[in-house]
Amino acid sequence: MTDWKLLAVARRLGMPDEELERSRPAMEALEAGFRPLARSVPLYLEPAVVFQCPPEDRQ
Amino acid sequence: MTILEAAGALRSGKFSSAELVEEALERIARLQPKLNAFITVMEESARAAARRADAELARGVDRGPLHGIPIAVKDVFCTKAVRTTCGAKIFADHVPDLDAAVVERLAAAGAVLVGKTNMHELAYGITSTNPHFGAVRNPWDTERIPGGSSGGSGAAVAASLVFMAMGSDTGGSIRIPAAYCGTVGLKPTFGRVSRFGVMPLDFSLDHMGPLTRSVRDAAVTLNALAGYDPRDDTSSRQPVEDYVPDEGARIRDVRIGLPENFYFDRVDPEAVGAVRRMAETAESLGARVVPVRVPDIGALNTVGRVILLAEAAAAMEPYLDRRADFGRDVLALLDQGRLLAATDYIQAQRLRRMMQREFRAVWKQADCLFTPTTATAAPRIGQAIVEIDGQPEDVRLASTRLVRAINVLGLPALSMPCGMNSEGLPLGLQITARPFQEALILRVGAALESSVAARWPGGL
Repeated sequence: MTDWKLLAVARRLGMPDEELERSRPAMEALEAGFRPLARSVPLYLEPAVVFQCPPEDRQ
Repeated sequence: MTILEAAGALRSGKFSSAELVEEALERIARLQPKLNAFITVMEESARAAARRADAELARGVDRGPLHGIPIAVKDVFCTKAVRTTCGAKIFADHVPDLDAAVVERLAAAGAVLVGKTNMHELAYGITSTNPHFGAVRNPWDTERIPGGSSGGSGAAVAASLVFMAMGSDTGGSIRIPAAYCGTVGLKPTFGRVSRFGVMPLDFSLDHMGPLTRSVRDAAVTLNALAGYDPRDDTSSRQPVEDYVPDEGARIRDVRIGLPENFYFDRVDPEAVGAVRRMAETAESLGARVVPVRVPDIGALNTVGRVILLAEAAAAMEPYLDRRADFGRDVLALLDQGRLLAATDYIQAQRLRRMMQREFRAVWKQADCLFTPTTATAAPRIGQAIVEIDGQPEDVRLASTRLVRAINVLGLPALSMPCGMNSEGLPLGLQITARPFQEALILRVGAALESSVAARWPGGL
C-alpha cells in the first residue's frame, strides 16, 4: 500500500496531517480497487482523452 | 403546470409572461427561506425579459415553447454581469463577462431567466449542503437533502418556483436531485449540449441538462440546447433532431433491458419494486422487457472516481493555497486527487476506452436499460450512512453508484419519477441508451409518464 503521508510530504502538497488521515481510508479503498484494473490494460490501448490536430492549424 | 401547458396558455391569452414571472418571483420570495434553492434572484432583468417576451408574442414573433417561460440555471453557468459563484467561496465575487452557451440558447428560445440556483460547492458532491450559501432543502421534506450537486435546481422545479432549471452532471448531479426531488432530469450524451461558459469540475465527465416537471418539458428544453458549438472542443457534430415525443408516443417492440447484475443489488426494496412496476407498465404498452447482463459497473465506477479526482484537482489547483476557503468534504476530495499519480489518470482513461467497447455488447440485447437512479430515497441533511437491507453504506456511495458509470461512458440518461416510498418520498427510474439516443429515452419516458399519470392523481 502507498504511504500517502510520505507521498504528500515528498511532493510538498501542503496537506495537514489530520486532513491526510481523513483521506487515507478513501485512498486505500480506491487503490485496492484500481490497481488490479490498471494491470489489465492492453499495451496498445489509447486513453479516452485524445489530442487532435485541427486542419485550421496547418498554416 | 408544465412548460407546454404554460406555452399554450400564454398564446391563448390566459395569462402573460409578465404575470407568470411575477408569480415565480413571489413564490421564490415566499419559499426561499424554507428551501434555500437560489443563490441569486434576478428580479429586474427577469421582469424586463418577460415584458420583451410579451411584446414579441403580441407582434407575432414566437420563439417556441420556452418563449416567456420562467426558468433558472445552476450557479455553474456563466451569466454576463451577473455573479456566478459555482457555490464556492473562492468564486463568491466572480462576475463573468460572457454568457454560457446554454444561457445564450435559452435566451434565444425566449426563456426568462429568473435566477441562479444553489448547489453543492464546486458541483463536487451530492448533498447540496453548502457551507458558504447554506443547505438546500428538499421540498418533500425540508429535513432531507435534495440531492446534488444540482440540488437548488431540483428543489426549484419540484416546488414549482420555475418550470425548468438547468443542472450539470459529472457523476449523477442532474439525475440524483431529479430522483430525490421527484422531477425529471435529463443528462444528454457527452458532446450533445455545449459546455462553453460553464465553470468546469471535470473536463471529460461534465454534462449539461435540464430538470423539469415532465418528460416532454425536458425534450422541449433539449430542442433549444442541442447542437454543435465550435467554442466547446468536445461538442459533437452529430445532427440534432426533434426530441419532443408525439402525443400518444408508442414504444411497441422497444427492447427494455433489466440488468440481472449490479443495478438491483443493495437497493432499497421499495425502489426496486417501483422500477420493476415501470417495466411492467412498459410491457403493457407493447415494449419487450429482456434480462441483460452488464459489464462490471463497479469497475467503471472506480475508473470514474480516479478520473473525477484527478481532473477536479487539476482544475482547482490554482486555488488550493486558500484551503480555509473550501468546505471540508470538497477539500478532502481535492486532496485525494492531488495524491494520485499521473499514470493512474492515464490508466483510468485507457480503462475507460476498454470498458466503453465492452459496454457496446449491452446494446445488442436491449435498446435501453431500466434501473433505479439511486439506491434509496432522499437521506436526511447531515446523514452520513444509509441502511439498505440492514447493511450500512456511505450516503455518497448509495447516491452515486447507479449513475456514475453512465458519465464515464458518456451515454444519455433520463431520471423520471416512478413512485413514492412508504415515507412519501419520491423514487427515480433511470433510463439509459446508446449515444445520441435521447429521442428514444424521451419517447419511452413520455409513454410511461402518460400511462402512470392516471395512477398518480395530482402527479408528482
